[in-house]
Amino acid sequence: MREFAPLLHGYWYLLRGAEMTLLMAVVAVIPATLLGIAIALLQIFGSRFARAAVVGYLFFIRGIPLLVLLTFTYYLLPLTGIDLPPFWGVVLVLAFYYGAFMSEVFRAGILSLPRAQWDAARSLGMTRRLMLQIVIFPQALRLAAPPFVNLCVNLVKATSLVSIVGLWELTMASREIVERTLAPFQIFLGAAAIYFCICYTLALYGKYLERRVLHGH
Amino acid sequence: MPFDPHFLARLFPALLEGAEVTVELAVLTMAICLVWGLVVALVQATPGPLGWIAGAYIQVVRNTPLLIQLYIVYFGLSMIGMGLSGFASGLLALCIQNGGYVAEIYRGGLQAVSARQYEAGRALGMRRWTLYSVVIMPQVIARIIPPMTNQGISIIKDTSQVAAIAVMEMMKVAQVWVESSANTYDVFLGVAIIYLALTSVANVVGKLAERRLAFVQ
Repeated sequence: MREFAPLLHGYWYLLRGAEMTLLMAVVAVIPATLLGIAIALLQIFGSRFARAAVVGYLFFIRGIPLLVLLTFTYYLLPLTGIDLPPFWGVVLVLAFYYGAFMSEVFRAGILSLPRAQWDAARSLGMTRRLMLQIVIFPQALRLAAPPFVNLCVNLVKATSLVSIVGLWELTMASREIVERTLAPFQIFLGAAAIYFCICYTLALYGKYLERRVLHGH
Repeated sequence: MPFDPHFLARLFPALLEGAEVTVELAVLTMAICLVWGLVVALVQATPGPLGWIAGAYIQVVRNTPLLIQLYIVYFGLSMIGMGLSGFASGLLALCIQNGGYVAEIYRGGLQAVSARQYEAGRALGMRRWTLYSVVIMPQVIARIIPPMTNQGISIIKDTSQVAAIAVMEMMKVAQVWVESSANTYDVFLGVAIIYLALTSVANVVGKLAERRLAFVQ
């Protein structure tokens, strides 16, 4: 057990890093979700121009690594003269990146509803807004919930990349402790265990939602 | 001065050299994971402790960040006297992580094959090997090509994280060029174009494989 002494000394610091990881993930997931819903709606109901713009955006985001976007935002933001604290810079990048993936999830949820739902709503004379609000969204969001939670797991994991551009969170905290203690195996395993606790809890919740979708509720 | 043709003429050969390492990492990872993931998926389907271990492996690697796995392999193994080169560490970490995802894809494909297919094969007196190679796997492969293509694209993007342990793949080359030239726009443009080209090629390969091998709807 003596080999794990550095981990015992450093665990409080790691937990504070985990707090920052969670904060970053939660702050990023809100705009990412809103953006995802907006893009999904644009892609389904938008004009031809809007749809083309969305397709271009998705192609760009899905073909380029998140690390590239993070790194170059870090280098480019000062050049553009936008005075944004690094925390909000990476939150913005995470939101734009995951918004693209979330839009797919929401779009699939909306499109997988049976045609009859739309026809029924329209035949009752509902406006599109009302139809979305009380017929489509409640059902589509329930269908989209399990893959949405899986994306949240990916988002939590992706926050580790911000340590490469110098932000302090769990991965950065573990690297700092490793530099002091020279015990990479123990410390990184400890950090991995914390990530696992966060992500596996989310993943189990996703599984639970999936079962509820499959077997009614 | 952005978009300087002389600078771009020097930049692109260097980036392409990095891209070569990126492609090597991605192709090797995909090739190894196609085998490793299948082994994990088949073992996971067996009852008993081995199946449980395979299941735990899938959950652990999918719910911890690649970057932390990379640090454990690169710094951790060297600390206990089994140090690997940067390239080998990167490859190992990429295979550990993506093996979990690929195994999940295989598992989904195997589950989608109806139990009657197994019974029919056995009723014809097929041996286990024949049953799998002639009846089961062709159906599994036909179903898993789209998710496997997505995984391949995500592997290409994941290779950028190997830059964190100073392997000279494209992302690292780009970082070096940004820091030495301050021509950030051009480097970003170059990196983005090459990554988009690589992921597009992966997409096309997936589509071709789908046309060739997907006979089940």
